[in-house]
Amino acid sequence: MEDELYLENIDEFVTDQNRIVTYKWLSYTLGVHVNQAKQMLYDYVERKRKENSGAQLHVTYLVAGNLIQNGHVCHKVAVVREDQLEAMKSKLATIASVHVYSIQKALLKDSGPLYNTDYDIVKTNLHNCSKFSAIQCAAAVPRTPAEVSEPQTSVQAGSQTPSDTNAARVPVVNGHGPSTSKQTSQQPRGIMGMFAAKAASKPQDTNKETKAEAKEAPGVSAVSSKPPAKANIMNNFFGKAAMNKLKATSVPEQPKEKKEVVKPSVPVAEPESSPNTVVEKPGKKTESSRIQQKDKKSKMKRVDKSDNEEEREPENLKKKRKRIKQLVSDSSEEEDVPPSPTPEEEKAPSPPPVPALKTELEPASTEVSAGGRKRKRKRVLKSKMFIDEEEGCMVTEKVYESESCTDSEDDFAKAKPPPAHKQPAPPVKKEPKEERKNLKKGAATANRANKQVSIMGFFQKK
Amino acid sequence: MFSAQAAPAAQALLTPPSAEASTFARVLVSGYADQSQPFLLGERSFSRQYAHIYAARLVEMRPVLEERAREKWGTDVVVRKLCELRVGEKCCVVGTLFKAMQLQPSILQEISEEHNLVPQPPLPKYIHPSDELILEDELQRIKLEGAIEVQRLVTGTVFAVYGSEQDDGKFLVEDHCFANLPRPLPWKGPTSDRFVLLASGLGLGSGSGESLLSTQLLVDVVTGQLGAEGEQSCAAQIARVILAGNLLSENTQSRDTINKAKYLTKKTQAASVEAVKMLDEILLQLCTSVPVDVMPGEFDPTNYTLPQQPLHRCMLPLSSVYSTLRLVTNPYQADVDGVRFLGTSGQNVSDIFKYSSMDDYLEILEWTLLAGHISPTAPDTLGCYPFYKSDPFILTTCPHVYFCGNAPRFQSKLLKGEAGQRVLLVTVPAFSTTQTACLVNLRDLSCQPISFSGFGAEDDD
Repeated sequence: MEDELYLENIDEFVTDQNRIVTYKWLSYTLGVHVNQAKQMLYDYVERKRKENSGAQLHVTYLVAGNLIQNGHVCHKVAVVREDQLEAMKSKLATIASVHVYSIQKALLKDSGPLYNTDYDIVKTNLHNCSKFSAIQCAAAVPRTPAEVSEPQTSVQAGSQTPSDTNAARVPVVNGHGPSTSKQTSQQPRGIMGMFAAKAASKPQDTNKETKAEAKEAPGVSAVSSKPPAKANIMNNFFGKAAMNKLKATSVPEQPKEKKEVVKPSVPVAEPESSPNTVVEKPGKKTESSRIQQKDKKSKMKRVDKSDNEEEREPENLKKKRKRIKQLVSDSSEEEDVPPSPTPEEEKAPSPPPVPALKTELEPASTEVSAGGRKRKRKRVLKSKMFIDEEEGCMVTEKVYESESCTDSEDDFAKAKPPPAHKQPAPPVKKEPKEERKNLKKGAATANRANKQVSIMGFFQKK
Repeated sequence: MFSAQAAPAAQALLTPPSAEASTFARVLVSGYADQSQPFLLGERSFSRQYAHIYAARLVEMRPVLEERAREKWGTDVVVRKLCELRVGEKCCVVGTLFKAMQLQPSILQEISEEHNLVPQPPLPKYIHPSDELILEDELQRIKLEGAIEVQRLVTGTVFAVYGSEQDDGKFLVEDHCFANLPRPLPWKGPTSDRFVLLASGLGLGSGSGESLLSTQLLVDVVTGQLGAEGEQSCAAQIARVILAGNLLSENTQSRDTINKAKYLTKKTQAASVEAVKMLDEILLQLCTSVPVDVMPGEFDPTNYTLPQQPLHRCMLPLSSVYSTLRLVTNPYQADVDGVRFLGTSGQNVSDIFKYSSMDDYLEILEWTLLAGHISPTAPDTLGCYPFYKSDPFILTTCPHVYFCGNAPRFQSKLLKGEAGQRVLLVTVPAFSTTQTACLVNLRDLSCQPISFSGFGAEDDD
């Protein structure tokens, strides 16, 4: 009775599931000794062929033996198809073993699939790979964890320190105003979270810049850092309509803390590593909710995401919360203190300087501000530069930032060409130039925007 | 060896299942002692010059050579230092050889702007008819000519020449001798068949799957899964597996990332990461069944200079849990069951191959044994740690098995020395190209290659 069971099993595997049944696979699946598995396979083949001589069964055999080669005796172990079996046997001077290696329905052109089958089953059974083997080794005992951990503690300590230092750096960074703190870790951008909440594990960084009453911080942000913004405050300010989303690249940015209405002049000139530049974020607590992404997103994906974000704009609060929770364990939207990023976000290892914005080619949608003025928020490609401690290099990224500007700025903003490529940021050399360009544009925009704010600007503009 | 014992029950598994299947216990190695302490470097300091290693080498080998010289040319042969040479006097001089090679890549030439040279492409051999031999000792050097094979010898060899100085200041050589086989070790080998499997050049991560099945078959044979019962019982007598280098393939080196701009390579993972994971899995399968010694090779993630330090256990998390896994240095020396093994991953032999006219790996291996030094070309053309107190590559005792890995093909020879030394020389072929490994029988110092194959579309075997 039991004997028949394995026959049925093999039958099922081979004919119904159309598998390649190797002796090893059978041994692990049925939990039997390898030799028994080989015998089972043989038995199955014999019976099946007896019943039905036209059975669609292809068998491979393992042949091992001595071969005289180049004058010396070589022990050869070969997997051969059934039709080559006799030929191989005749080549060998002495045959040491012959047994069935595998059974499958289809004729195999080469032994690749055999390897794959074995590889898969061994991979799933790595912890007891010698269980059904014919040789048991008494000496092969795993070391106790105590022994193992001893030399390992130094390794682990080593690996922990980098993450610790990252964590330590974050608060420092967080504590900074717009200044030269180098940020090596990324932080989630709050405002982005709200509008573009990416529930995905690797949230895209979207940055939103909030526009202060009239100041445009963005103008100032020639800086490489992405401006964090506090979503709800922004919301209060402008309403969803006014928010533009920015897609940020995964470059870590410092979170900025409150930004008052920032004078555009301030950080304009901080192209080097001043993550916090975002001083531009006027008056907002900006939580950096930017998550460092591993930039595997394709362009298309980003575009889609951005579209989604825009759609999701309405229901951002909730998303933002979720997202922040994901990224930053203890931050809440109300908090003034920028949350310290969780270690994952710290992104020690390679913050890919890929500008995600490449995908956004058209300027951000312009929305009417709550104040009723004709103010537009545009997504503008800006270069942000910061020093990445981990790799010891300067990274420049182009990010889209919302910028407030008037109608006439439309063309202006459009004119900033975001290079659309998936690759990491263009060479640093190019950056300073663009940056300067952006700077100028930003400044100009800012100035104009500034002017707009006061009523006199209304007249001066003409 | 293998087959003879297994033959009777060869077809036994072509039967319906039997009630119980026999399991064999792996033969236990009673005496294993790792002797490669000289190759383990502790604190490394590279602020020294390499002259010290040559000085240490000469000092250590001089007595041996002087003794050999007396044996060969009579006890009354005059042994002189170069500064004591007199013109026309037949004497013996002991010194280090330097071969001035025209084609030898020189870093100074490469960076010299006045020459405006492009770096020389790597050649298989750098020998040239115009090469010259110069003998150096502690204080002076002298050019050699005469009955000496210039092409065959390589820089760094310490040997003794017999001849006389000529008027033109060159030394006319009549005869020369090397240190010859070092003193033999007492034989304490096993009385029953015990095997050690030598394999090298697994070449994981190469991107081509040709040798993957063969590697799996190798692992299966050793762990006793493959083969009929007779073969499995023979496999149970494999006491140890030594993997002699190049576990990773050359393709994992990714040297081009060094030249690329950082932003292009930030996201890419080194090819060796995947390969090391594969290695870990293979080693795990082996470790659960047999003690394994893993030696690093030219393409493995460890230091470049000889002696290469063991791979770090953090790279092999699954398998390093087992005490059967031993990560060892590149020249590796150990006593397995009373048999002294000494071997390298092949860098020393391939370097001599490049700078000498000798073509056969086995010949070169034998020559290094006779010259009394594992790797005479280090540090000249082969990277080496700047030793200063002693040179650990000098052979002081004669091993029983002397192997080198990553050879183009399998060769073996049993060398017998005058003082009763018996050495089995084995060139272990690169598995990724030949799918062949070596089985050494410790009882009688015999060696058999074992090769694996699958079948392919174009096979007509």
